[in-house]
Amino acid sequence: MSRLDTLKEQIRKALPDLDLVIGWERGFDPFHATPFHIKEEADIDRLIFDATCVHNLASFLTGLAGKKVGVVVKGCDSRTVVQLIQEKLIDRESVVIFGLPCTGVLDKAKLKAAVDLTRVSALDVDGDTVRITSGDETVEKDLKDLQATKCDSCKYPNPLEFDHLAGKPVEPHGDEAVQYDRIKAFEDTPVEERFDFWVGEMDRCIRCYACRNACPLCVCRDHCIGDSRDPHWLSQETDIRNKWMFQLIHAMHLAGRCTECGECERACPMDIPVLMFKKKLSSIVKDLFNYESGVDPTAVPPLFTFQVDEETINERGW
Amino acid sequence: MRIGVFVCHCGSNIAGTVDVVSVAEASKMFPDVVYATDEVYTCSEPGQKAIQDAVREHRLDGVVVASCSPRMHENTFRRAIEKAGLNRYMLEMANIREHVSWIGKDKEKNTFKSTELVHMAVEKLRRNQPLVPKTFEIDKTVLVVGGGVAGIQAALDCADGGLDVILVERESSIGGKMAKLDKTFPTVDCSTCILGPKMVDVAQHPNITLMTSSEVDEVNGYVGNFEVTIRRKATYVNNDLCTGCGLCSAKCPSKKALDKFNEGVGQTTAINIPFPQAIPKKAAIDPEYCIKFTKGKCGVCAKVCPTGAVNYEQQDELKTVKVGAVIAATGYSLFDHTRLEQYGGGRYPDVVTSLQYERMLSASGPTGGHIKRPSNGEEPKNIVFIQCVGSRDKSIDRPYCSGFCCMYTAKQAILTKDHLPDSQSYVFYMDIRAPGKLYDEFTRRAMEEYGARYVRGRVSMVYPKDGKLMVRGADTLAGTQMEVDADLVVLAVGAEAETGAPQLAEKLRISYDKYGFFLEGHPKLRPVETNTAGVFLAGSCQGPKDIPSSVGQGSAAAAKVLALFAKDMLESDPAVAEVNQRRCVGCLKCVRTCPFGAIKEIEARDGSTKAEVIDTVCQGCGICSVTCPHGAIQLKHFTDNQILAEVDALCLSWMDENYA
Repeated sequence: MSRLDTLKEQIRKALPDLDLVIGWERGFDPFHATPFHIKEEADIDRLIFDATCVHNLASFLTGLAGKKVGVVVKGCDSRTVVQLIQEKLIDRESVVIFGLPCTGVLDKAKLKAAVDLTRVSALDVDGDTVRITSGDETVEKDLKDLQATKCDSCKYPNPLEFDHLAGKPVEPHGDEAVQYDRIKAFEDTPVEERFDFWVGEMDRCIRCYACRNACPLCVCRDHCIGDSRDPHWLSQETDIRNKWMFQLIHAMHLAGRCTECGECERACPMDIPVLMFKKKLSSIVKDLFNYESGVDPTAVPPLFTFQVDEETINERGW
Repeated sequence: MRIGVFVCHCGSNIAGTVDVVSVAEASKMFPDVVYATDEVYTCSEPGQKAIQDAVREHRLDGVVVASCSPRMHENTFRRAIEKAGLNRYMLEMANIREHVSWIGKDKEKNTFKSTELVHMAVEKLRRNQPLVPKTFEIDKTVLVVGGGVAGIQAALDCADGGLDVILVERESSIGGKMAKLDKTFPTVDCSTCILGPKMVDVAQHPNITLMTSSEVDEVNGYVGNFEVTIRRKATYVNNDLCTGCGLCSAKCPSKKALDKFNEGVGQTTAINIPFPQAIPKKAAIDPEYCIKFTKGKCGVCAKVCPTGAVNYEQQDELKTVKVGAVIAATGYSLFDHTRLEQYGGGRYPDVVTSLQYERMLSASGPTGGHIKRPSNGEEPKNIVFIQCVGSRDKSIDRPYCSGFCCMYTAKQAILTKDHLPDSQSYVFYMDIRAPGKLYDEFTRRAMEEYGARYVRGRVSMVYPKDGKLMVRGADTLAGTQMEVDADLVVLAVGAEAETGAPQLAEKLRISYDKYGFFLEGHPKLRPVETNTAGVFLAGSCQGPKDIPSSVGQGSAAAAKVLALFAKDMLESDPAVAEVNQRRCVGCLKCVRTCPFGAIKEIEARDGSTKAEVIDTVCQGCGICSVTCPHGAIQLKHFTDNQILAEVDALCLSWMDENYA
């Protein structure tokens, strides 16, 4: 039985006890998948799973409080679920996790650069090879060249927390060492250059808040600092100052929480590399507290506790 | 809103480097400012009256005072505007003295910075709300940590004032360092004889609960309502049954235990009463040396004890007490003399510390009051005292003067001559520090009447030769090198913070300096207070002190506690956190981060979970408001909007210029 069939079977069995299961179905073209809700057995046949299933479905969980929900997760997505459990934002008992080992997902931007997407009629992933039919010709590409940047350093391809696992666990295929290379390389450039870079990037921001809406850990809902008028952190002006301030606060709020799923950056219609902020903070949290978010459901995130003495920080030299 | 700005000259303190008149003039441009002026001394009576008059005349409803640190005069001005009919929280201060005039010399830049600080204060004040304090009941029990002379004095004064006192002491007897001394300067009266009665008073006072062999484990709560967990360490003797008869130590077969009370001079038994005048006079077992604990069998003490007080199974006990105030009187520790290898401490048996020497001088000490060379038990003839061992020495990070070593060295030189009339004392010193009543006269007596030879200079090395110790040093007054063949070398070791002092400070949430001494509220004006309400200091835990000063501070701390407890209810600071229930999503991250346990979980009317701040417990630290992701918790008087307004006042123009 294939991985997808196993998953379908698992969902079929669990569905009677659940209000819904969140999974992916084929989108409007071959390289898009779309999240959808499985509410009855007939829906199960629409379920897909391949490298186009980029969305972190855990994003929907906080909005479904009070329901008994099943969710299909990849390795990286499972970290989000773990983080939500840690923060008591979802109740472990009311969530059924269907885990899938993952070998990497596609990055649409890279795909777009490789082939003319407007003419694609079929896309097929076979192991490490991506076969794309565009017009009359079919090209074969290496998945490694087309996969999301986050997959390059993937440490957790297998779900960390699950009730059902479909398919055999896979070996980590990413190189963990390169995780923060992009940040380090960026930090090596002169500060004026970096400043100018961000001024340029932030200038392009259209304040659509897609990054916030896609973020599975942005849980302020109606009280987002971007919308709040009291306290009045941000004005309605479309200047760089306000846009940048939002991004930085967003990143700060995710320090020690962000599981680096990359949904913010993926959702950005302007392709602003906002994940860099979060990666930087994650690396700081790792250095300071030796903590990795979303790994252990029973752990307490370092910024959600108060300790006079941090175990990993020797302030006083005692 | 109608705001008045008062810019203080502070004599020439501020006006010397800040153009206060133009700061006042510029302030008139800020929004809502209807009146601005400069005053020579705003804190003076005419200065305060000028504020009050202006409040009435110009119908002000907020006041900015640009002067010194709010630490200094915030309360002064709060009271002043309150008398003029305003709420005391409608005051903001711009610190243009400590933050401007005292640190910068450029008048133009200082004036600009002062104006910006006033601008920030105005912007914050525009968003201030009148706040009203709440009152809460207090527990009129005081905890004294440390049973040295400072702690004893504080405990006795508080108890005499009618308060219940809990005195916690780490060792098995109170008395501290003073109990180890033979005589005290400058009167050369017997230390134990004057301390003993006080120790007995402590034991007998109906208001004092004495807890020895105990340490503070945890401190929670706040002024008036502290909850302190005290750990009573196992002594393996039931104090209720022990009569202090001493039979156990007489029969104890383990006779080579470290004698802590005698500073390691001589040895004691594994079960012992540290000294004859110990309070409480109870035996305790040192498990490191007890044969029952090291080898598993013995049990002699249990067999001989007439009351069956020995209990090898005894465990540490935790006890939680409720107190309204804490006096820290944890004292000091001595510099480790082995660190300065040139003096041979720890290597040569005839090099001893001053406190070890003190025990030798004591009639109840291990040598029965006879001065003997530890190496061979003979009487020494030449005795060399080396001062400033671990004091005034940057190279070992002890730049401070320990204060009392000059005096006790003079005392020891005098006592040496009394004990051994044929002896000759040499004292190597840097300077003689004797600024106390009858102190300098005392050191002169040591030199002139008792013939101690004072040599001004440092010792470079001590080395053994023919059974003696050669002390080589400089005589800077004679401009020569000199060498003394000493029989005994006494190192006048300096004072250090007690081990574990910083840890205790963290528990009490008080500050400490880089050496571990506790920080007083103000070096001159608040010497026994700390910046944590309800926690006071006494004695050497704040810095090295001699006995009179320690006793004085003990009494002073007691007076502060008595003054605090003179009221039945205390006012809580209303500048605390507040939860906006509409915004709260009940994630309770604030509950987890609050260091004071000041936030509780409640059930809202619709059944959802919410957080709520307990006003009187909240200390206004603000951790919750930065933890709360969507700003449901705001710290009153320091709301996000107020802070943002201040930042904007400072940065907006710069931002607009640089990247809009």
